[in-house]
Parts: sequence; C-alpha cells; structure tokens
Amino acid sequence: MVSQLTLGERQGALCILLLLAACGLLMLGAGQNDPLGVHGGIVMLFGVLLIFVVISGYFAPEPGTDAAGRYYDDPSKVGIVLAMLWAVAGFFIGDWVAWLLVYPEMTFDAAWSSFGRLRPVHTTSVIFGFGGNALIATSFHVLQRTTRARLPDQLSPWFVLLGYNLFCLLAVSGYLIGITQSKEYAEPEWYADIWLVVVWVVYFLIYMRTLARRKEPHIYVANWYYMAFILVVAILHIVNNLAIPVSFAGAKSYSLFAGVQDAMTQWWYGHNAVAFFLTAGFLGMMYYYLPKRADRPIFSYRLSIISFWGITFMYMWAGSHHLHYTALPQWVQTLGMTFSVMLLVPSWASAGNALMTLNGAWHKVRDDATLRFMMMAAIFYGISTFEGSFMAIRPVNSLSHYTDWTIGHVHAGAMGWVALITFGSFYAVVPWLWKREAMYSARLVEVHFWFALAGTLVYVFAMWNSGITQGLMWRTYSEGGTLTYSFIDSLVAMHPYYFARAVGGLLFLIGALVGGYNIWMTIRTAEGVKPEVLADLPAPAAARQASTGR
Amino acid sequence: MFGLHYKLERKAVGLVLAVIVAASIGGLVEIAPLFTIDETVEEAPDMRLYTPLELAGRNIYIREGCYACHSQMIRTLQDEVERYGPFSLAVESRYDHPMLWGSKRTGPDLARIGDKYSDQWQVAHLIDPRAVVPESKMPAYAWLARTPLETENFGAHLDALRIVGVPYTDEMIASASSDALGQATPDGPRAAGVAQRYGDATQIRLFDGDAATVTEMDALVAYLQILGRLTDAATASTAANVE
Amino acid sequence: MDIGHEQLVAFAKSFGLFYLIALSVGVLVYVFWPTNKKRFEKAAKTILSDEDRPWQ
Repeated sequence: MVSQLTLGERQGALCILLLLAACGLLMLGAGQNDPLGVHGGIVMLFGVLLIFVVISGYFAPEPGTDAAGRYYDDPSKVGIVLAMLWAVAGFFIGDWVAWLLVYPEMTFDAAWSSFGRLRPVHTTSVIFGFGGNALIATSFHVLQRTTRARLPDQLSPWFVLLGYNLFCLLAVSGYLIGITQSKEYAEPEWYADIWLVVVWVVYFLIYMRTLARRKEPHIYVANWYYMAFILVVAILHIVNNLAIPVSFAGAKSYSLFAGVQDAMTQWWYGHNAVAFFLTAGFLGMMYYYLPKRADRPIFSYRLSIISFWGITFMYMWAGSHHLHYTALPQWVQTLGMTFSVMLLVPSWASAGNALMTLNGAWHKVRDDATLRFMMMAAIFYGISTFEGSFMAIRPVNSLSHYTDWTIGHVHAGAMGWVALITFGSFYAVVPWLWKREAMYSARLVEVHFWFALAGTLVYVFAMWNSGITQGLMWRTYSEGGTLTYSFIDSLVAMHPYYFARAVGGLLFLIGALVGGYNIWMTIRTAEGVKPEVLADLPAPAAARQASTGR
Repeated sequence: MFGLHYKLERKAVGLVLAVIVAASIGGLVEIAPLFTIDETVEEAPDMRLYTPLELAGRNIYIREGCYACHSQMIRTLQDEVERYGPFSLAVESRYDHPMLWGSKRTGPDLARIGDKYSDQWQVAHLIDPRAVVPESKMPAYAWLARTPLETENFGAHLDALRIVGVPYTDEMIASASSDALGQATPDGPRAAGVAQRYGDATQIRLFDGDAATVTEMDALVAYLQILGRLTDAATASTAANVE
Repeated sequence: MDIGHEQLVAFAKSFGLFYLIALSVGVLVYVFWPTNKKRFEKAAKTILSDEDRPWQ
C-alpha cells in the first residue's frame, strides 16, 4: 500500500505520524492520573505502529507516472475490510447487551461490563465504525467513478480513513474505562471531538479537490448526498460538542449548554445524525450502486433532486419530536412534529424511486441476492420513515416515547435500511474493486440475505410488541381510577420479548459473519482474477450471470 | 432564475453553500429562540446548586451510562404525573451541563427519586438490585462501595461549570474537595462548612453507612437523593396543567 | 440588538414558512426547467457506461 505513495507523500505521512505519536506521548504524560493517559497510550501506539508500516515500504520504488491514468482504490478496499470488522464487533456487543437484559447477572462484578457502559460501545461501533467506514470507502469509489477523476493525492484519503478509525477506537475504548459526555451518539470527549473535526475537514477537502478536477461536468446526484452528509455532520458535530474541559490534563468536560437548550441541541444533533449520517450518506450509496447493479438508470433523476432538497431542508426541523410533552416550549414541539410528517414526502420519493428503478427487472431481483439486499433496504427505508413520521405525531409519541418501540424503529432503520444497503453495495463493489468476476460464493450471499432479513424481522417485531405493551401498561387505569400496573409489572412482561430480540440480533450477527467470510475469501481467492482484464468493472451482465450461476 | 441554478449546479462551491444554507435554517429557527427563553421560564429563586459530592455522584451517573435506561423528565401526561410526581419544568435542569433527560425507560424515571427511598434501600439496591427487587434487570454496582471517591482537584470541576454559567462562588470552588468529603462525614470537621455554603437543607450524612472512607457509592446516593429536590417550583405549579 | 423572546419566536415561525415555500418553488422550477431535461437524462445514464479509468 505504501508503494502507491510518492516519496514526498511517504515523508509527509512520517511527519504526521511522528506528530501524532508525540501528541499521544504528551497526553500520556499530562494524564497520568486520569483516563486521558490511557488514550494517550492508544494514540501513541497507533502512531508508532503506522510509522513501522510506512518505514517497511519506504524504500519501495515509487509509482510510475501512469498512476494518474488509474483510479486510486486502496483506501476504499481497506475501508471495506475495516467496516466489516466493526460490523462483526458492533453486532456482537449489541447482541451481548441484548442478552444482558435477559440475564442481568452476566457482568462479572466489573465496571466495564455493565449495560450502561457497553451500550454506547455497540451504538458507536455500528453507526460510526461500520456505517462510517462504509460511507468513507464507498464515497471515494463513487466520487472517482462519477467525476471520472482520480483522487487528488494518495496521502489524504489514508489520513481520513485511518484518522477516522482512530477516533472510533478512542470512542469505544473510552466508554469501557468511563470516558463519556453522555450525549447520545456524541459520547466521545473533547480531544476526540477536536481530532474528528481535523479528519473531517480533510475529508471535505478531498471531495472539493476531486470535484474541482472532474471531467464530467454534471455532478451526479449521489455526490450531492455524500456532500450533504459530510457538511451537515460537521456542523452538527461542532455545535453539539461545544464544551469546557475541566483541565487539559483530564478527559472530563462540561457541556456549554444546560437543560432545555442542551436537550434541544442534543436532539437536533441526534435526529440529524440519523438524517445525514444514516440516511443522506446511504442514499448516496443507493443512488449509485442500485442503478449500477440493476444495469438500469434511476427511474427519475428529477425526483432524486427533489427528494434531496426536501431531505436536506426538512430534516433539520424534526429533532424536537424527541422532546414531546417535555419542558421544551410547545411551539417548538409542534414545529418538529409538522416537519416530521412532511418529511414522509421526500423519504417516500426516494424509496419509491429505488423500487421503480427495479420495476421491469424483478427477475434480476429474484435471481440476484445482491440486488435483493438493495431492494429490501429500500422497502425498509420506506417502512421506517413512515413509522418515524407516525411516531413524531404527539399523541402517538405519548405512547411510544421512552419505550422499546423507539428501539424497534431505530433498528428497522439501522438493520433493515442502513446495513442491508451497505451489504448489497459491498457485494456489488468488492468484485469490482478486487478485479474478480464475482463474489467467492453466490450461495453465501443468499444465506446472508436470509439471515439478515430473518434477524431484522424477529428483532423489530419483538420490539414493536414490547414497546406497545409497555406503553399501554404504563397508562392503564383500573376502574377505581388508579394505575393498574406497577413499573416492575411492565418489566416482567418484557422478558419474552427481550429474549426474542436477542435471538434476532444473533441471527443478524451470524449473517454478518457469513458475509465477512465471503468477502474475505473473495479477496483471498486468486482464481477469479483475470489479469488481462484491466477494466475496473466487469460487465454488469457478466457479473450477474456469474453470481447466479446461470 | 435559471442562470443562478445553472451556476449552482456547475460549481461545487455553490452546491456546498446551498446545502449549508438549506440545512442550517431549521436548527437556527428552533434553537436560537431558546437562548432567550429565560425571559419566559419559571422563576425559581429557591433553586440551590449541586454540592461537590452530588456533582461527583452525577458524574458517576454519567460515566456508568445510567441515562441509557433511566429518564429524568416527567412529561405533562396524567399517568406520568401520577406515577412519578409533578411534571418536570425547564428551570429544574437549568444548571444541568449536560442535561440527563434521557430517551428510554428500561427502568423507571428518576426525576423525583430523591427522598423516595432510604439511603439503606438505595445502597442495597445498587449493590444487588435483585436482592431488593427480584424481577429487576439492572446491573449490580457493588464495586462502587469498594471504590474510594476521587476528590483531588475538585475545584477545577466547579470552576469549569462556572465558566458555562453555574453561579458557584470563589469560596465554593476553593473548598470543593473538602466539601465533597465533608458532606459524607457528618461527624468530621469538614461537615459544618457544607451547610454554610450550600444551605441548611443540604443532606449531610453517611450515605453508604460506612464511616471509614468516602466512596463512589456515597456520591451516587447523595446525587440520587437530591434528584427533584433542588427547587420546589414544580410542586408549586401543581398538576393543573396536565394534558 | 434588543430583541425579546416573543419577537424572536414570531420571526422564527413566519420566516420558516416563507423560506419553505421559496425553497420548494426554487427546486421545482430547477427540476422541471425544460432545458435541464436532457442533462438529467444523460446524468442518469452516464454512470452505467463502463469506465475503467479516469478521463484524461
């Protein structure tokens, strides 16, 4: 990998890594009596390890001048492998905490093993580790193909990918040793947040520099979505994480905002992390890989633009629906509810656009599990956005809020939409990137599909049932006008659903393990390589036939 | 009109600016007015501050991720008010950096848990939840009682909070570490200053029942016992406004 | 600037509505502008053409 970097870039990489290792050492020294010191050690190790990697390839011959005539895909390849590793780790921890709610004694009398510390490890590994790496990897791939231009250099994509993974590593290791801001989906402390801003600026600049050099005058709509993802996540991240550190020698900080302002800022962030991280970015993925795999242009390009602006504009208003009936002023709640309901229009426009693209090609969907992953993702996108708008209506929210229904909704989106579109895109892009004719095993793709679908359905139905049961039990009155059920009654009623949920999660995890094995074997297997084919993409038709064995 | 759009699409920078503008309006409209909300929010002149010990307990609550399963926000709904107490007011969390309203009730709401149970109950429950509530799904936190509370340099915490707007005095900051220990050692020399600085209503006692060391258990229980009791504003506003 | 909470709220509420309408109209005009049709169709199709290397 280092051999693809020019000599100047190798030197640049060494400088950056030395600086990083020095920062780690500084944190280690300053935070001796603080968890910050542990993170200093991790940062330093990360830097030193990569210094060895660069040095080991430092004296390799430089890439020839013909490199400019090829796309630069190494970071995308590594990003996909990292995403699969995070997926397996994140799903495993997720299922572990699901079992903790069935068997709460499994904490070994240790601090790190409680639900409260492990839960953010799960959410961060899945959303940022798996989702983020998938977005970075595919965005580099899509960006180059749609602009017909190579990435501007070979160093900055690595900086973004590896720097981002360092952030994820700091995040999850921090929760285990008790470093957290408590803001959901923004738990990492101030120094990790600052580091992410640096990484993100470079990410944005890669996008702008590649776009500036594009040979295709029109910017394809997938890039709009990826750009909205990069830009808005930056805004959200910076505003929500404003905080005053107790000391520069410690991890702890206090949020700049308090009470109701903090709640609104947090859920403005929280909801739009869903919107721009888990929706816009993955829609970008969908708008490229689905037409590509189906070998059909998107049903309506116009509709994709309308939904883009609809989503970009309206999502930002919807966050306050997380705070219905709270101390937030009611007009803000109403505004949030109204926009949440209106959001259904651009959301369904996107889902419908995807499904209409497949209309007339259903035989492909039947035969090709990769395409079926994407179709199922679009269906779950439609379902969960409808559910989201529905749950944002105040009276519905009065029942659903604080219950497992929310958890079910989130997982319908995360497993059904985000993970399925990612797996579908990975199965499409892995053979293209590694110049294989097809995935190692089409049958294993099929196996993964059914495990993933079954897992999602079991999970989501369990949570719908438990959430609605819970919500109803909390508000049931006896004839005498008193509350019928104690809180613990409702908790006892949850037990079978928690068991079912853990089983659903296990199925989903098994699917991901199968997927990871399949991708790894595709990379390992040399037989599929056709050395004479320099073409980046095997003809889609050929790939499809190979994958279905017809 | 058309020329503008044409340029917008041609120039990546135009697209970037358009996205930023379109996306930031919603947040600005909804969040900006909240910063003048103090004009309309309830008055709570009797509101008192978290003592250093309670703050340490709050930080433990955050560190352990208690907010993942317990909310601290009673909504304006009849059943919630009957189950948990008067609905939460904005003013009650005005010094909460960050707020801990939560989003999920795997366990019950804790906004008004303070003084509902005895210290002994809280300690026993934290050490082994299922010994007290057999059906509970809560993790056991027995190790909190074995972990001495870190109070060194606690003034820096109060100082940081003062920067973001909590009115701690210089005296409070200077004696923060001593006050943290004093609140959990009622018979010690440090106890008197706590009541003097934070008010006579401050609960000064052996929260975990062990006089030998001030532990994280002391801090967490001190925090739990103050939840919902920083001000009486909510009780005063009555449950008349319930929807 | 001496703007009270009430004014700020009133402005926020009304401005948001006008902005929403203006944005919708703008986007619809752009999307359905006749001369844009061809470019959109080309954009939708062009990603399907196999390109193994950057355009030089």
